[in-house]
Amino acid sequence: MTNREPITCQDTTWLVSDSCERELTAEEKADLHGHIATCELCQGASKQFDVLFQQIRLFFSKDIQPGGDASE
Amino acid sequence: MTDAYKTSVIDEIATYRPVLFRIAMLQLRDAAAAEDATQEALLAAIQTHDKFEGRAALRTWLISILRFKVLDSLRQRQRQGMPVDPGQLSVELDTAKFATLFDETGCWATPKDAWTNPETHVSRIEFFRVLEACLTKLPTNTSRVFLMREWLELTSDEICSETGVTAGNLRVLLYRARMQLRSCLDVSWDRSQ
Repeated sequence: MTNREPITCQDTTWLVSDSCERELTAEEKADLHGHIATCELCQGASKQFDVLFQQIRLFFSKDIQPGGDASE
Repeated sequence: MTDAYKTSVIDEIATYRPVLFRIAMLQLRDAAAAEDATQEALLAAIQTHDKFEGRAALRTWLISILRFKVLDSLRQRQRQGMPVDPGQLSVELDTAKFATLFDETGCWATPKDAWTNPETHVSRIEFFRVLEACLTKLPTNTSRVFLMREWLELTSDEICSETGVTAGNLRVLLYRARMQLRSCLDVSWDRSQ
């Protein structure tokens, strides 16, 4: 057990957004994964963020090699 | 490559004008500048279309050309100064609206038992349409900095110097953009079930 305060759902969303900008610290990662593991709403939200980030990459054509042809 | 094939590629490139303009507009927020960037991207694409062979990735290729034209446009405008409007920015940074997403203990204040599970059966065309609609709903400065980050891949320092936004406010705007997009898509995922 640690003596840190447990993080809230709101804190979790900040960490999810920050993780797009920088590498989270080990402590932040532990907080984030620890909270998500025990919170059903954050599990659902986390799944949605994953899909959102993937869709944004597709929308701006980041996951496809330019000039490549998917049918090849 | 036959002439007929070349003609059909050029025709197909032209059909992307509206979507390219809308994406340029999301970033530049200026119809004349977005029109110029779109026009330049289409011309560059048509001039070099013989180098392009994979038609399935036409959209990808065009967006990558547009990206360079939009970056050029931003650099030109930066020389004239393109700071954010402070009044508009303070509205977008207003915390009251976001406070309602969570209760006073920081838990989700959602009336639902759980979030919609995003389904992947929605076609790519459909999801592009929905995501674009959600991006369009973002406040002006929020979408500008979000696209600079996610599409143009500018660094935080570059975005701050381009817009005059502080690093702290940039973090808030990017957070808001992601939160608003998730909420917006949650509604559309809900409807698709």
